[in-house]
Amino acid sequence: MWTIIVQIFPYAIAFTVPLLITSLGGLFSERSGVVNIGLEGLMVMGSFIAAYTISVLYPVLGDSAVWAGLALAMIGGALFSLLHAFASINLNADQVISGTAINMIAGAITVYFARTITGSGNIHIVSGLGRWDVPLLHRIPVIGSLLFTQTYGTTWLVLAILLLSWYLIYKTPFGLRLRSCGEHPHAADAAGINVFAIRYIGVMVSGAFAGLGGAVILVTYSGEFNGSVAGLGFLALASLIFGQWKPLGILGATFFFGFASTLANVSQVIPELARIPGFILKAFPYVVTLGALILFSKSSQAPRAAGQPFSHDKR
Amino acid sequence: MKKILFAAAVLSVFTLALFTGCSKSESTKGMKVGMVTDAGTIDDKSFNQGTWEGILAAGKDFNLDTKYLKPTGTTEADYLKEIGNLYDAGYKFMVTPGFKFETTIFQAQTKYPDAKFVLIDGSPHAGDWNPVVNENTVSIFFAEHESGFLAGVASALQVKNGEFGFIGGMEIPAVQKFNWGFQQGVNYANESLGTAIIMNPANIVYQGSFDNVAAGQQLAAQMFDKGVTAIFCAAGGVGVGAINEAKARAKAGKDAWIIGVDVDQYAEGIWDGSSSVILTSAMKRIDTAAYDMIKAELDGKFPGGQILIFDAKNMGVGIPAENPNLSADVTDAVSGVFAKLQSGDIVVSAEQGDLIK
Repeated sequence: MWTIIVQIFPYAIAFTVPLLITSLGGLFSERSGVVNIGLEGLMVMGSFIAAYTISVLYPVLGDSAVWAGLALAMIGGALFSLLHAFASINLNADQVISGTAINMIAGAITVYFARTITGSGNIHIVSGLGRWDVPLLHRIPVIGSLLFTQTYGTTWLVLAILLLSWYLIYKTPFGLRLRSCGEHPHAADAAGINVFAIRYIGVMVSGAFAGLGGAVILVTYSGEFNGSVAGLGFLALASLIFGQWKPLGILGATFFFGFASTLANVSQVIPELARIPGFILKAFPYVVTLGALILFSKSSQAPRAAGQPFSHDKR
Repeated sequence: MKKILFAAAVLSVFTLALFTGCSKSESTKGMKVGMVTDAGTIDDKSFNQGTWEGILAAGKDFNLDTKYLKPTGTTEADYLKEIGNLYDAGYKFMVTPGFKFETTIFQAQTKYPDAKFVLIDGSPHAGDWNPVVNENTVSIFFAEHESGFLAGVASALQVKNGEFGFIGGMEIPAVQKFNWGFQQGVNYANESLGTAIIMNPANIVYQGSFDNVAAGQQLAAQMFDKGVTAIFCAAGGVGVGAINEAKARAKAGKDAWIIGVDVDQYAEGIWDGSSSVILTSAMKRIDTAAYDMIKAELDGKFPGGQILIFDAKNMGVGIPAENPNLSADVTDAVSGVFAKLQSGDIVVSAEQGDLIK
């Protein structure tokens, strides 16, 4: 059993990271009071921008093109999320519909652009990120082989962002303002906080993080943009709820999904697991989530004003 | 009011963008050849693309109108709708790739008796797998087992010692035959050509889909970790993930090879300059099949009502002409084996027999 865990752990972490960062983006948006179900579309956008950037810059920059691609994916994701921000903050549109629109536009427009620019709907990158063992740390017994072997640079980047986000949300004035806008925007408004500005920041951070998430998928395990991220954006949204809108909660939730999905994916080549029918392993994380959502529904910690448009005159 | 105007402006911009995408130049000469795509895009580097390239080549050579339509889904109703659209637009020669079209073409061939259908990798049936090929339809199959056999021989000869794995997409006949042929090829090389390749039953898997890239990467990673040196991937997008994993390993200086499928996948495996992780590819010449059928129709020799098999004898399957990762000796040896396949000295079974899965 232990050897199996060691065997799949690095890959489970690699699968978790894009989910984690996207879910964290969703946290910023929802904590500011804007529901963002457009995460999937924002990820697709990030994946497209990164793929295109890397394929153009690779001949010039070599391996550093990957990092340029990641950076541009974040910027592109943030800009694309402005559509959602504008519709749901300025126009008071229904945020679920606006998010759905983002998902639909992203899937179509990226393939359209990919085809007009490169002549193919699939953009293939020559080289993604390499994996490495963290020096010294990977020699630590037990956790060394689990956490510090075969890691991608993006994993550490995302974990650093997670820690920073935790600090930002709970320990700084900005975090307090962000949370207050999601809980009671009118009170925040009365206290002199610019609710519109905070919500714009929240949505743009979610766009940037989701864009990064999509790009991480590309540079780590997929290597090719194909107009879809296979529903990971929705899984990130589920993790956000499962993790009760808390940074460490979503770390746990996304890792649970990542580990369970990896287990299901590789079960076929591990004789001990191949005895369990594949569909049981594949359905397992979703069944647990459904159960957890039912259990937690009474004590849900959802930001109270999430999904409600804010306007000054409805106090 | 301003908001409404703004919304209207946004809408009209999108509508414009939509329509500009539709205009395609059309000449008005000759026969009109249409295609309905299977799941995936027209540039899937596999079935759709191969078929379309064959149609385009024929269109260029014989000055024909060509058009493809991509259905919104992959159900029979989606396919039938697009076939109807092509028919109404005058495209009465239609090529459809993939076994998913079997029941669709079964209906279409009676519904549109004056249209011609080419069904690649399947034969029309009513859902009961009893082939019913009308006079206006031709059904094409490939000898995937022969293709897999050649790739198996070539890979075994090149690697000599080591362990091989197989990742399939869905467990359907075309994929299974690739797998069985590949195993027979490896066994043949072991018995007659002095190689020592092991195939462990645990490393022969069907992932269950053609689009789960993540699973492809993770499965390949597990196999490579367990000491497999080359994996034969007949799995569409799942194979994309596996190729990506092999590239990451090759870059780190490890031995990791992928054997491609359907088309020459060499270019997809390039990870540095011109080095590729694609050892060779088990090809089906889908483009040739599409091209030949169009040509036959133009010559008045459309083989309606028949089920055609494209195999080594008529050059319908094989490995690519250029294999930079195979040594000259190996290429020569494989040509010898190919000749024996053509002459019938070697017979590859399309059945599982006592092979793995």
